[in-house]
Amino acid sequence: MNGVLAGQVQPGAVQADPLAGLREILRATRPDADLGLIRRAYEVAAAWHHGQTRLSGDPYITHPLAVATIMAGLGASDQALCAALLHDTTADTPYTFAELDRDFGTEITTLVARIVALDQIRYHGASALAQAIAAARAADPQVLAIKVADRLHNMRTVQYLRPDKQLRKAREAREVFVPAARLLRLDTVQAELETLAAATLSRNRHARTASGRLLTATTALLPAATQARWREEWLGELSALSARLSRARFAAHTLLAIPRLAVTLRRPAPGARQPRP
Amino acid sequence: MKYAIKMTGPVQQILRAMLADPAAPRYGLEISKLAGLETGTLYPVMARLEMVGWVESSWEDPELGVREGRPRRRYYQLTRDGAEQARVALAEISRIREKRRATLNAAQPGTLGVSL
Repeated sequence: MNGVLAGQVQPGAVQADPLAGLREILRATRPDADLGLIRRAYEVAAAWHHGQTRLSGDPYITHPLAVATIMAGLGASDQALCAALLHDTTADTPYTFAELDRDFGTEITTLVARIVALDQIRYHGASALAQAIAAARAADPQVLAIKVADRLHNMRTVQYLRPDKQLRKAREAREVFVPAARLLRLDTVQAELETLAAATLSRNRHARTASGRLLTATTALLPAATQARWREEWLGELSALSARLSRARFAAHTLLAIPRLAVTLRRPAPGARQPRP
Repeated sequence: MKYAIKMTGPVQQILRAMLADPAAPRYGLEISKLAGLETGTLYPVMARLEMVGWVESSWEDPELGVREGRPRRRYYQLTRDGAEQARVALAEISRIREKRRATLNAAQPGTLGVSL
């Protein structure tokens, strides 16, 4: 068809259904799921989170959708799936509990309220672990499962956070959410959380050394969308070097690359594609 | 001939190093050693090679790193098209260089001075 420039979105082009992946999983784990209700929860959440983005640059709704998809894999109830989709609406958007109650009823509202209440617990140290376990016993186990799924998705996308925040999230994952997943007998979730936490802790081992700090600080010169990739790649290479002197050499030489890299990444050759982040 | 990327010395060194085993994925530090280049030269070239599609990069499975007690690595690999174009470009550059050397060798001391 003539008149359509390359890369231009055709008006009226049909976008792939964002719920396709979720539906696919539900076909296996919950063939009787109320897809109409779940779609409505998605649409309300998407409408309220509209315009918000994750640090990765993705629309915010991708996060609750991912949490719901993890829950779908665990065979969660319709109510839990809706609560997963809506779990950040009342805290992060003007959507109120009253509106949630009117739109989705008491059961889903109670689940969301308990998830929000669980967020109030500060996840630090052994007392937090005890609190989380107590919360799991006291509250609906579905609520803790959604929190665990929430952290799993946050750990999957943890590289977009600053290194110090990555370390904190990884420690919390290991100290609180891995035991919580074990308590709920969510074996696959527990295993993935353990792997992600270990990888994050190991990746950031050198984030606090002099060489690591310098590299981390200087990546700020690179285009925002590419910073996480280069920071992680370089901190990784840094940790492969055992001697402090060779780490300092690596950091010094790589620093020299940053201004040139910034120019390269900001002015791509015509027709070039962006390196993947 | 005009290539997708300017064939500077470092670009040639990196492409030669990667073409030694074109299917092997390699991480930055490894390529910098193979090509004999400092990382300060390497990474901007890798970014350019990736932008023109000669090279692809991806993270390894983080579990591999965990098993070996190190962070996951970013691996670079020549694309099929990139390997092909790199071979053509390097071959042509070698040809030009050979021709130039032959011309210089054939030239008499006196005539060389004139032709320069």
